[in-house]
Amino acid sequence: MDLQLALLFLQQGVASGLVVGSVYALLALAIVIIFRTSEVPNFAQGEMLMAAGYVALYLFVFRAMPVWAAIPMTIVVAFAGAALFRRVVLTQVAHASGSPVNLVIATLGLSYVLKGLVRQTGFGDTPRSFPALVSTDSIMIGQASVTRLDLAILGTAVIVMAAFFWMFGYTKLGRAMRSVGMNPKAAQLVGVNLNRIHTTIWGLSGAISAIAALLISPKLLMTADMGSVVTLGFAAAIVGGFASLPGAVVGGFIIGIVEQLVGLFVSSRAITLAPFLAIMLVLILRPQGLFGGRVVIKKV
Amino acid sequence: MRILGLLAALAGLIVLPLVSTGYVVYLANLLLTFTVLCLGMHIVIGEAGQFSLAQAAFFGIGIYTSGLANTAFGWPFPLSVLASGLVAALVGLCIGTLALRMRDIYLALATFAFGEAMQWVFLSWTSVTGGPNGLRIPPATLFGLEIVSDRQAYPVVLAITLLMIWATVLIARSRLGRAFRAVRESEVAALAMGVPVRTTKLVAFALSAFFAGVAGAMFAIYSTYIHPDSLGFQTTILVLTMVVVGGLGSISGAIGGAIVFGLISELLRQAPSYQEIIYGLILIIFMMFAPRGLFAFIGDNLKRFARA
Amino acid sequence: MRNPLLQVENVTVRFGGLVAVNDFSLEVTQGTIHALIGPNGAGKSTTFNCISRFYQPNSGRIVFDGTDITRSPASEMAGCGIARSFQNLELFNELTVLENIMIGAHVHCGGSLRAWLQAKPPAVMHHIDEVIERTGLAPYRKHKARNLDFGHQKLLELARALAIRPRLLLLDEPAAGLRNREIATLDRLLTDLVRTDGLTVLIVEHVMQLVMSISDRVTVLNFGTKIAEGTPQQVRNDPAVIEAYLGKEAAHA
Repeated sequence: MDLQLALLFLQQGVASGLVVGSVYALLALAIVIIFRTSEVPNFAQGEMLMAAGYVALYLFVFRAMPVWAAIPMTIVVAFAGAALFRRVVLTQVAHASGSPVNLVIATLGLSYVLKGLVRQTGFGDTPRSFPALVSTDSIMIGQASVTRLDLAILGTAVIVMAAFFWMFGYTKLGRAMRSVGMNPKAAQLVGVNLNRIHTTIWGLSGAISAIAALLISPKLLMTADMGSVVTLGFAAAIVGGFASLPGAVVGGFIIGIVEQLVGLFVSSRAITLAPFLAIMLVLILRPQGLFGGRVVIKKV
Repeated sequence: MRILGLLAALAGLIVLPLVSTGYVVYLANLLLTFTVLCLGMHIVIGEAGQFSLAQAAFFGIGIYTSGLANTAFGWPFPLSVLASGLVAALVGLCIGTLALRMRDIYLALATFAFGEAMQWVFLSWTSVTGGPNGLRIPPATLFGLEIVSDRQAYPVVLAITLLMIWATVLIARSRLGRAFRAVRESEVAALAMGVPVRTTKLVAFALSAFFAGVAGAMFAIYSTYIHPDSLGFQTTILVLTMVVVGGLGSISGAIGGAIVFGLISELLRQAPSYQEIIYGLILIIFMMFAPRGLFAFIGDNLKRFARA
Repeated sequence: MRNPLLQVENVTVRFGGLVAVNDFSLEVTQGTIHALIGPNGAGKSTTFNCISRFYQPNSGRIVFDGTDITRSPASEMAGCGIARSFQNLELFNELTVLENIMIGAHVHCGGSLRAWLQAKPPAVMHHIDEVIERTGLAPYRKHKARNLDFGHQKLLELARALAIRPRLLLLDEPAAGLRNREIATLDRLLTDLVRTDGLTVLIVEHVMQLVMSISDRVTVLNFGTKIAEGTPQQVRNDPAVIEAYLGKEAAHA
């Protein structure tokens, strides 16, 4: 491979990587806010994304609902679904046994139920394409070619992340969420309603997944198995240290770029291995993640 | 009473191939294989409280190692069974060493990603696995005799299963088993008692990979064909569901779960989408209302009923 | 004067900007009960966690029986002969009383393959039975730890630590939440362990009645610094101690 081509690939990889990476970053954000507050890695996150994508597809294509109504409705459905799961199922699971393993198993259960339900509707069996809401004309940036849709995806993801960080850092709700993540008992003492915060966080995480679904669906063929994109979200979260929100975002972009570069420089089939390799590399070189500071000491 | 029950079960298992059809023997082989897979899952999740989501990948490693040992090296099957277990354990040791350096959940995530990656390897490494065409598994041999039918394989599969059950019981009752449970119940207390926590987790993880590898070799004895599609996350979830239905943390639960739920899943094979919904619902409902499994749930309710 | 079994030399622990323990030194004499007291947040538990190797001090040295253990991992302490209990119970809740105590004997079960696989290694069962007898847990052998009442859970913590056959026993508030009768039992048990078995005990405790009755020596910490040390009698009358506990006015009254 000559230098010219390598440079071209590099630019293209970084550009496309930033676009898909922004979606992985959203997904990682959704995973990490749940993990930070309840120590549960949500294995249903990918299927929450998938199911939200199908809700949107159903509303758009099969109900011919206008965009301005279908998008908020999808997000609301995702929020409500995730919040409901937390409120009804996880509360009862935690009540039945104190073991965190049981909570994880329940999320695995949810992932399977959602997958099966989507298949059952009949929409999930054949691959479907999600209509692009923005034109897919190409624009050249440097030597990289990106579509207007790509730019819209990146832009929207960045705006959503900014809104999220503002909410998390500067509103009363965000403060309550942070306090629950740091010390649930103390948060409860100062009057934070733990149950409500947990439910809201799950809802929020569902809504973010729904946005990620709306962004990524036009770029993928939709199937009931598209939730496996969550592996990339997990990889992003691990790169970021798994408890750091800015880490999750940077991790998302890194994973996106690595994935695209592997696709261009190695082979498109090797893309599947990229998240695994990224996870392993991080575990070998910097197990606390790029943003995981010191290890929290358990008080005994 | 308990001894009598065990003896009766054993007698039933021994005479089974004499009185039943070929399909039943095939199913019995399959359920026994799942039993060993479940025992492996039981050790890592039930005993040590650590999450491993790569059981299917280790199962696959066992199948292909055994296939390779049979054809390329022409080993007798006891040797290839052992080799399958050891190769799986070795791979598990490498993954576990990395994953267990940090947070607990990294084991779950790393094994999840590892499972996906292994499925890719199974699909791509055509010379060993046949890739997307699947692999015709060569028959296992012992002293020049080939095991070609389910019926011939059954005694061997049964013997290995009994051996693995015995090993699991031995481990659970031993100092090692106590160390596993100590880690599960309280890591800080385990440390203070001189239990090397990380090593203990690693041993549990490698042991569970060993069991899955042996299960792979068992599968290779009676099966003639394997496709990478059946070595994905779905199989891991199936094993997890079995262990959960039987009851996390109990050996008899793991065995019972493998058999009861193995039969159910065989019935469900015709309807894949229902299958997913049912697995998922079972996991959720059991975690909500019967976290100690079906048998404990029935037992508790019978007691309550008797008292009322 | 007998030899010190444990020496803590100029230990400092910082959490971020907060200095939890500041240049703290301590000597615990073989065969004595040494109490570490002080108001909440004085750094007692932090010191404890340094000795049992759960925390790493930023500077200073910890020497046990002539060996520097400042860099040893926590899991090696049981093998060295240092046992600890936990302030907020850390029992193996789903396991039986017997199993809890057997895990305490983990380091004595031997390293051979046979020893690893033995269900009830005869070498340790005798001692375990003795511990169960002595702590009065015999009627509860088969009970799950989580089903015991609080007093017995506290006793189980102690029994599990004793199964380590320690030379130094670190007890973090063993009497907290106990009733008077239970404290009296604890008092007798600890005194007996030290007088007849030659055990050395370092105890963090808020229950002054127990501290004053059993301790040979008392060290008082406040804001991470040692403010007094001596016999219970000396410490009780020390103005600095009274001030730390009750405030300035009381000290001058």
